[in-house]
Amino acid sequence: MTLDEILSARPSPGQPRKYEFPRFERTVLKSGLQVITVDVPNRPLVSANLLIRRGAADEPADLAGATILTARAMSEGTRRYPGVELIEAGERLGATLHVDASWDAFTVAVEVAASRLGAALELLAELVENPTFPEPDVARLREERLNDLLQVKADPRRRVDQAFTATIYTPDSPYGRSAGGDEESVPRLTPEVLRATHRTVLDPRRAAIVVGGDLAGLNVPRLVEETLGSFGGESAAHKVAPAVPVAASAVDRPIVRFYHRPGSVQTELRIGHVGLSRSAPDFHAVQVMSAILGGLFNSRLQMNLREEKGYTYGIGAGFDMRRGAGPFSVRTAVQTAATVPSITESLLELRRIRETAVTAAELAAARDYLVGVFPLRFETPGAVVGALGGLFVHELPDDELTRYRAEVEAVTIDAVQQAARDHIHMDRLAIVAVGDADAVTAELKAAAFGELEFITDELPVSE
Amino acid sequence: MTAQSVRFSDERLANGLRLIVSEDHLAPVAAVCIWYNVGSKHEVEGKTGFAHLFEHVMFQGSGHVAKAEHMALVQAAGGTMNGTTWLDRTNYFETVPSHQLELALWLEADRMATLLDALNQENLDNQRSVVKNEKRSSYDNRPYGDWFHKLQEHVFPAEHPYHHPTIGSMEDLDAASLEDVAAFFRTYYAPNNAVLAVAGDVDPAQVRKWVELYFGDIPANRAIPALGDMSLPAVLGAEVREVVEDRVPLPRHFFAFRAPILGDPRFDALEVAAQILAGGKGSRLYRRLVRDEKIAQDVSFFSLGLIGGASIAAGQATVRPGIDPAVVERAFEEELERLGREPVTDDELVRARALIETFELEALQRTDERADRLAMYATLLDDPDMINRQLGRYLAVTAADIQAVAAEVLRPDNRVVLTYMPATETAAGATDEETAA
Repeated sequence: MTLDEILSARPSPGQPRKYEFPRFERTVLKSGLQVITVDVPNRPLVSANLLIRRGAADEPADLAGATILTARAMSEGTRRYPGVELIEAGERLGATLHVDASWDAFTVAVEVAASRLGAALELLAELVENPTFPEPDVARLREERLNDLLQVKADPRRRVDQAFTATIYTPDSPYGRSAGGDEESVPRLTPEVLRATHRTVLDPRRAAIVVGGDLAGLNVPRLVEETLGSFGGESAAHKVAPAVPVAASAVDRPIVRFYHRPGSVQTELRIGHVGLSRSAPDFHAVQVMSAILGGLFNSRLQMNLREEKGYTYGIGAGFDMRRGAGPFSVRTAVQTAATVPSITESLLELRRIRETAVTAAELAAARDYLVGVFPLRFETPGAVVGALGGLFVHELPDDELTRYRAEVEAVTIDAVQQAARDHIHMDRLAIVAVGDADAVTAELKAAAFGELEFITDELPVSE
Repeated sequence: MTAQSVRFSDERLANGLRLIVSEDHLAPVAAVCIWYNVGSKHEVEGKTGFAHLFEHVMFQGSGHVAKAEHMALVQAAGGTMNGTTWLDRTNYFETVPSHQLELALWLEADRMATLLDALNQENLDNQRSVVKNEKRSSYDNRPYGDWFHKLQEHVFPAEHPYHHPTIGSMEDLDAASLEDVAAFFRTYYAPNNAVLAVAGDVDPAQVRKWVELYFGDIPANRAIPALGDMSLPAVLGAEVREVVEDRVPLPRHFFAFRAPILGDPRFDALEVAAQILAGGKGSRLYRRLVRDEKIAQDVSFFSLGLIGGASIAAGQATVRPGIDPAVVERAFEEELERLGREPVTDDELVRARALIETFELEALQRTDERADRLAMYATLLDDPDMINRQLGRYLAVTAADIQAVAAEVLRPDNRVVLTYMPATETAAGATDEETAA
């Protein structure tokens, strides 16, 4: 056979190896804390994530940023380990303790050799239960956040993300705020506020620790009982579960908000509206629809704006599903001269996926990718632990991940179109851009995408 | 905690293709990674950015694969893929469910054998436009965006192949022609200029059969031009300083040093030094500049390993509002100089070693990372077994090694200091190069 003959024959796949999402076990401690363990044999490192179902969306507006700042400040010293001593003790175990908060949850994570899990959990418990929130360190972290807000304004990518969510949500919707707080709220975040936030967050009945790795010979529930068994203390009984965050649309017609950044060589674009919560009943159809529209490498948006027109290095679209309705957006950066054509083509693709059925080939491409890539996503204990943490935070059924591939396979062409019609709203799209307005004003006006507003940020200065 | 050693075979096909196969069955995943021994250092004046533009063309179809079909086939198989270009090399990789391995091998073989059959002006022009937008979004439209390009310019002299950025210049990208693509392909994309690593849930005998079938008849190029001598004096000889006005709210210093090449034990010592200097909240620079003196918003220090004459060690510190940038610079430099003057403490070394061990174990858990490192060490150091020895080399670094490399490398006459200052109102925008294609 010649090389050409050899290469002319496309290989067909072999027999797939059987794959199941790893089985996990759950123990509930007296305090209400759930211990979720998942054995992933032959892995040298264990991942442990403590999750508490309370996040930045659950804090009052005037104290925006309190949850994230509390998370940051917790590693600034504890009763037993002042200053950076706790960090150093973790490092001696080869472990970095990460404390963080998202909109939905508070997380303390560590990755460590299995033999040192007990010692790492002791440190984790000390960090969780006994932070001291020293005033000088809290003041420094507040200033760092305020400085970071200056950087946000100067970076078109971060600026447009912030402007987009601030545009689409009503003022009483937490997701419209900056999760880390803004110039008004951050100065209010005193050690007292952080201590109060910390007390509110520490609720074992809303908490789980997920531990994954080679757990042979380890009694994880007992290790957790010994270290975190009493976390949250007596105050737990008085705590009230937070409501699902308000996530209301501030936009009721198509609008364009253009932030002028003179001389920009690209326009950063976000096009979208308030989207969906993770509890959406048609979650799997939405995943398939989003993949076809803007998730796959060869998504409709990519094929049009990148591979055909060359307007951008990359374009994507999707739903950020949170406990409340997170944003839906098309996201890209395009060369300045292609700003208006890029908006036109993006709108065309949004309309097209609503109005015409996807092809069988498109459906198969998205479905086969989502189903096929599933085992690749969960190769390491850290990834498995992360996914199980997501189940806990969103209060999803235990078989959510084992059912995932069958659910995706069952999505039909009609279901995809229905998801697009139900969840993409042309009549309230916000088009938010950061770029050189002078270069595109006339063209934007002529295009008449919607009510047009130009905003000029004052140039951020450092004092 | 013991690192499991990565077992692998290492052989060459008759046409020179180096094949490395590493079998394990931890997950139903197979990774294919092919490294071509060609990077932006092979580019000549007037053709900068070409190796990277070429990498994009590699996804535009080949003899039996249509434009964009490479991605479609890999994703429909449940896989992921990409390619990257750097100063020393270009790589392409697919990670797939293990029963789809043959597809990934066939795709790589088809473009190595028949790329030019599918090459056309329309696809080249399209990817030129995509790459120009990549340059805009990754560098030109970002605050402090061109810092690495400026450091490269200063660490490597004008005639050195590392002097120019991998992304290239707009003018050179505009000038790239179909003939350039064809010549570049014929010269460098030959089996004897590549390393193919396959790792994960695979049967090595079957892998060999497939590789022999698909790649075995691709002709070698026995006339790949050798690069000139890239050796450099160990140090710059005098400090280099540059101040850039940019649309940034906070001043930021970048520091760079000419450093030993990848594979030199001193480079390992420098990596451990970087961990002690700036690896997290327990590190020296973070503690002094951010935590105690509160003069910097953030700090970092790291090394980028290269093989042609010298590597780069680099760092940065963002100046807090109201602080004199000179104060931040002095504090940063004092910490680097102190490292060369006195040994690090035992505790610092213990902590750095423990963290590095965790990072290495974490990285090697992934099949794609194992394939990538095997191909990397084979391509850059002709030593794929470095995958099993690298951790030991880090753990063997002593306080004396760190002090010695710091004294040798992190010294004022080997230093580049690049400072971004907030632009005055009138200067804003003046540094931008292009408006549109």
